[in-house]
Amino acid sequence: MFRSHNVVTRIFDRQISSPAPGTSVHYARRFYENLVPNCTVYEVECPDHLYRKFTDDGQYLICFSRNHQRVIVYRPTWLSYSCKGDCNTNDLPQKARRFESFFSQLYSVSLPSSNELICKDFFLYMESNRYGLFATSTAQTFDALPVGGAVQGVPSIEKITFHLLRLEDGVVLDHKCFHNDFINLAHNVGAFLYDDLLAIVSLRYQTIHILQIRDSGNLVDVRAIGTFCREDDELFLNSSAQNIHETTVACFHSGIKQRLLSFIFRGIWNEETDPTSRVQGLKKKFYFHFQDYVDLIIWKVQFLDRHHLLIKFGSVDGGISRNTDLQPAFLAVYNMETTEIVAFYQNSADELYLLFEQFYDHFHATSRSPYTMNFVSSHSNNMHAREQLRCIKDKASNSLQFVKKMLASLPFNCQSQSPSPYFDQSLFRFDEKLISATDRHRQSTDHPIKFILRRQPCTLKFKIKPGPEAGSTDSRIKKISSFLFHPVLPLALSIQQTLFLHPAVVNIHFRK
Amino acid sequence: MTTSSSSSLSLASTSTWVSTTSVSSSGKRIQREMVELNMDPPPDCSAGPKGDNLYHWVATIIGPPGTPYEGGIYFLDITFPSDYPFQPPKVVFRTRVFHCNVDSSGNVSLEIIKDNWSPALTITKVLLAIRSIFTKPDPYNPLVPGIARLYLADKAKHDELASEWTLRFAK
Repeated sequence: MFRSHNVVTRIFDRQISSPAPGTSVHYARRFYENLVPNCTVYEVECPDHLYRKFTDDGQYLICFSRNHQRVIVYRPTWLSYSCKGDCNTNDLPQKARRFESFFSQLYSVSLPSSNELICKDFFLYMESNRYGLFATSTAQTFDALPVGGAVQGVPSIEKITFHLLRLEDGVVLDHKCFHNDFINLAHNVGAFLYDDLLAIVSLRYQTIHILQIRDSGNLVDVRAIGTFCREDDELFLNSSAQNIHETTVACFHSGIKQRLLSFIFRGIWNEETDPTSRVQGLKKKFYFHFQDYVDLIIWKVQFLDRHHLLIKFGSVDGGISRNTDLQPAFLAVYNMETTEIVAFYQNSADELYLLFEQFYDHFHATSRSPYTMNFVSSHSNNMHAREQLRCIKDKASNSLQFVKKMLASLPFNCQSQSPSPYFDQSLFRFDEKLISATDRHRQSTDHPIKFILRRQPCTLKFKIKPGPEAGSTDSRIKKISSFLFHPVLPLALSIQQTLFLHPAVVNIHFRK
Repeated sequence: MTTSSSSSLSLASTSTWVSTTSVSSSGKRIQREMVELNMDPPPDCSAGPKGDNLYHWVATIIGPPGTPYEGGIYFLDITFPSDYPFQPPKVVFRTRVFHCNVDSSGNVSLEIIKDNWSPALTITKVLLAIRSIFTKPDPYNPLVPGIARLYLADKAKHDELASEWTLRFAK
């Protein structure tokens, strides 16, 4: 079917015809093929901040000061200017080359107290209330002394504080402290926000803290899953006949471990009905590995919905190391209301991979309405992405390694993807090694990144080029880029850093 | 639902491997008892060595139906002494249980693995005896007198508490 790319024709089309049921969002998003950030302002004069991200509603640009002490919040505004006399030239006036022409500062607040610093890789946004969650921490010590209840081999951080900020005016509403604990703050790994529920994983004390962010702006403890499962288990135990000392806690499997072990046990027990072969099966599959199961620790958690958590378990040394893709690990679905394990898989399980392939979006737990345009392309909602996955799958020589590699992204990092329409793979094609919706620093080359129309006529629509316009003087210097795309507007920031302490080169990409 | 197959875990235990020719008499005896247990396992019970260490076992007892422990899965550690069977194995609960014969650290008071131990007894008999304390607690030789008293004075209340414990800590 012939479709015009002319924006006027498209608007006319929109007036006279309605899209197929359920596709209106995709239909409307196609207008972004016409509105692209095709103009770049190179090396913008801008404050030397650490630029973190646009909030998913596009209201705020979150930045941190270089000294990791202050949060600076900007409101993206659209560039407007007037000029005297000759307005025909295509050049932007000098004033437009400034950061302040695109962003107006709302406020700058100091977060940490005493010797804490802001963790620049951590930020969660609660869209419904426009609250932002920030983290500050002291430096970590690796030779942490073993303390009762703490896992050996996990480093310790003297103090970690989560700050709840009202982004409207920068007022700190509440905070929550963890002492001598370890929470993986980089890329939001150790915390997951779902609606108003926040899960924080204490690696050192093997506890999943579930907190609720109230409308009033309070962080309220809902439950702690780990040693105990229900919120009143400890109270119940203390009120029962026995006296519980700290030593007795160590005598027993923790609450979550008891659930896990009994789930695995029941699974193997029910596999066989004949008592003799059942005992054989248990001996080989359960008792032989029993200590390994007991030694598993919680690595990471995400919400699947308000009741279900997806928990990743692994060995102690894998919990803190960076490259854990191929290490043996397990994924469990846990219902925190009924305190039951619902499913348990190894990270090489084909069954889990099939779920991952077919129902990818179900793992990306957002309570976001499916009718908003704020969605991210994935292989379960986009045929181009699916084709790409098939292609990788067919090429993979070792299917076990492939499954492990794919499942390594579970549980997902919270809010780690940009919902910008320019990453919609049904609209544009781009090199995913250089740029993608996933929020990550990438090695940058001197070549501009091309965004090519997915549909006919498959032309180049715009380019994003980080760094100076003329390219860098020394091509041997390693350069790292990050990209911040506005979720709605044709506006993006590219930030290029060299590994030395030079200030970053910031380019603004927008539609002129 | 999938659990690991036997080849999957490379985290395996670090205990030293003993060649079969040098297995001591206690090892031989434990091995024989393992075969016996596998041939004729007692109801609701199972056990096996942790990793490849013959002297450290794990046992699982399913809470017997009709008791307040019904539905619970109880894990126990069993440690055999090197002079087994001349000394009894040590049995400890690793799952919390509300029981007058199990103390707050999981130790069990059971005559046959204490004073009444005999080398003629086997691990199967020990498992059966432990299972029997679920059905018939012995409040006259208690480790936790409070629970024993409650059991004798108000069995309904005792059972209610015990099943609450099962629900909270042994599922």
